[in-house]
Amino acid sequence: MSTAAEERNLRDDVLNGFQLTRQLERVWRTPSGFLGALMSVDHKVVGRRYILTAFVFLLLGGILAALMRIQLAGPEKTFLSADKYNQIFTMHGSTMMFLFAVPVMEAFAVYLVPLMVGTRNIAFPRLNAFSYWMFLFGGAFLWLSFLLNVGPDVGWFSYVPLSNLQFSPSKRTDVWAQMITFTEVAALAVAVEIVVTVFKQRAPGMTLDRIPLFVWAMLVTAFLVMFAMPSVMVASTSLILDRLVNTRFYDSSSGGHPLLWQHLFWFFGHPEVYIIFIPGTGMVSAILATFARRPVVGYPIVILSLIATGLLSFGLWVHHMFVTGLPQLGAGLFTASSMLIAVPSGLQIFCWLATLWDGRPIYRTPLLFVIGFIVIFVLGGLSGVMVASVPIDTQVHDTYFVVAHFHYVLIGGAVFPLVGAVYYWFPKIAGRMLSERLGQWNFWLAFISFNVAFFPMHFLGLIGMPRRVYTYTADMDWAHLNLVSSVGSFLFALSFALLLVNVIYSLRRGELAGDNPWNASTLEWATSSPPPPQNFDRIPVVKHRDPLWADSEILPVAAGLSADRREVLVTSLAEAEPQIREASPEPSIWPLLTAIATAIFFIGSIFTPWAVLWGTPPIAVALIGWFWPTGSKEDES
Amino acid sequence: MTEADRNGKLLYWAGVALGPVSWGLNLQGIYVLAHFSCETTRVSGTIVSVVLAIVALAGTAISARAMRRGAGAEWVDAQGGGPRSFMAWVGVGMGALFALVIANQLAASLLISPCLR
Repeated sequence: MSTAAEERNLRDDVLNGFQLTRQLERVWRTPSGFLGALMSVDHKVVGRRYILTAFVFLLLGGILAALMRIQLAGPEKTFLSADKYNQIFTMHGSTMMFLFAVPVMEAFAVYLVPLMVGTRNIAFPRLNAFSYWMFLFGGAFLWLSFLLNVGPDVGWFSYVPLSNLQFSPSKRTDVWAQMITFTEVAALAVAVEIVVTVFKQRAPGMTLDRIPLFVWAMLVTAFLVMFAMPSVMVASTSLILDRLVNTRFYDSSSGGHPLLWQHLFWFFGHPEVYIIFIPGTGMVSAILATFARRPVVGYPIVILSLIATGLLSFGLWVHHMFVTGLPQLGAGLFTASSMLIAVPSGLQIFCWLATLWDGRPIYRTPLLFVIGFIVIFVLGGLSGVMVASVPIDTQVHDTYFVVAHFHYVLIGGAVFPLVGAVYYWFPKIAGRMLSERLGQWNFWLAFISFNVAFFPMHFLGLIGMPRRVYTYTADMDWAHLNLVSSVGSFLFALSFALLLVNVIYSLRRGELAGDNPWNASTLEWATSSPPPPQNFDRIPVVKHRDPLWADSEILPVAAGLSADRREVLVTSLAEAEPQIREASPEPSIWPLLTAIATAIFFIGSIFTPWAVLWGTPPIAVALIGWFWPTGSKEDES
Repeated sequence: MTEADRNGKLLYWAGVALGPVSWGLNLQGIYVLAHFSCETTRVSGTIVSVVLAIVALAGTAISARAMRRGAGAEWVDAQGGGPRSFMAWVGVGMGALFALVIANQLAASLLISPCLR
């Protein structure tokens, strides 16, 4: 056999120890230099970028929230003009929903899912890189527009007819609509990658009932993204068409219908809440098991709840439209579904409480955030059941009661688990522990200030304060509660400043983490912190739902993958039995170039329909470059 | 894998599939019926809901039976490694849960006149 052939057939079963590690690192590493960084297709590199970018958008969205709270802290303040306030609340909602909440959850999945299922890279790594660039360009496009005073000003759900050309003649609404296209393309790409990674790249032996709960949560979320997001892309694209080429999708005088917008938007918008919440529940399950020092009680029940919640989330959207004059029977049917979604959520909460009850909990910062989540989310769920009822919803619709409700659900249901997840997985990502003392301060400040900021909003809503007003008169009696809310929101912002300080400090001076500092049970803790480019020197073999607890000494591994080219192991769907070895793509600049071409197409098409014509060839060229055979090892069968 | 094995595997998934599908059909079906003739929807809607709740529960029963027959033998508790019995358990729960949702929607359609706009 020739030397070249021998090299091509070099497998990881003929190398050992340091030699194997070095060989795999050489094959899987991201090229050095600036160009190399732009070419990276490593899920950990892309995941870190995604997480960092999403947190930058959280910071920007938080600054906008602070500006709003300054304006509303007292009656008749002139800190912000009405027009600026409209832009700011729209930017706040859009940033938090489309540029922070969904992307950050997917970002954690991009980083963690391949590690948790024991593979070397995510499925479709170039698509993953493309997804990140699209997300970045979409977010930058929205924020640059805002800084140029072209920020959207019609609310994060951009209702027609307000967003029609007649009432919004500038480009502000187009910017919003096209930002949707950017971010949803990015989200859909990640969803496809997650589904394929979980279904086909699990470590041998990781049967369906051995998949970690976080991975199950991300799998359900990915399906939600795939079925919900096309709806809002259709909506935003048809809105742009109405505005640009005078189609009449939403014009009732020409056979269109404004309510079509609300149906399309909320068919996406309600599952969106669960796209944000379900990953949070996965984080909660992962953290809870580790710190309660026992597996989560009722593994099948938790997964049943995840799947049922995901499915039911598609049958609730009309509860956002109770005051639009739909037939009462329809409202009744959706009330029934809306109330019953509390059942699977409740089942999960009882499973978590039982886990804590039966475990030997260690109250470190991640677990504190999980307990904070349970308290706040249950409160948000209670007000959710209230607004699922037509008579109550009719009374409190578009008031601060609803603002309080969805902040309890979204911050309680997603941000608290997320911050807990940052404390939990930071050691794996950075190789250093976050400060526990700062973490405890962070939690208590966040928990108390959150309630100070948002609980009074329930009362403000009940006494009639509507959403989205930029000021109010002194005789409305809303001043005191608004002041309390503003003080609470600044303290809440301070808690995030503490998190930032903790991260910056710990990156330099934090205690070294080691491979498994929490004695956790899932596979991401089986590799070094931070993980090497190849994730694992040899693919783990899973024989237990909690592999690191069951095989605490030596984890069984599978050998035979190529050590000379990027290769992943493809396994069967239910039983995770090995099927084939599959080449994994190497770094490439084409995802970035394709994203640039797509961005030019998207941005151009809000100014002229001709952009569809001249914007297509560059994308075609970029895609041809992307898929062109290079003769490299990844093209070998 | 034989044809019988393949068909047998599908039974474990019956509850996972039948429950949500029944619920989706119920939600859309009653709406469509009310659109064509609101006066007769209460009776026809009740029939539709009852039938679909039974279909959802049938999913539960099929999954439970499949589990008792074959999948139960592979159940290995917290270790995992029994994907068929696992899906059958999830199927049992899904069928029951979605039958409950359909029953709740049936109650709504009995309480509220389909002609009310």
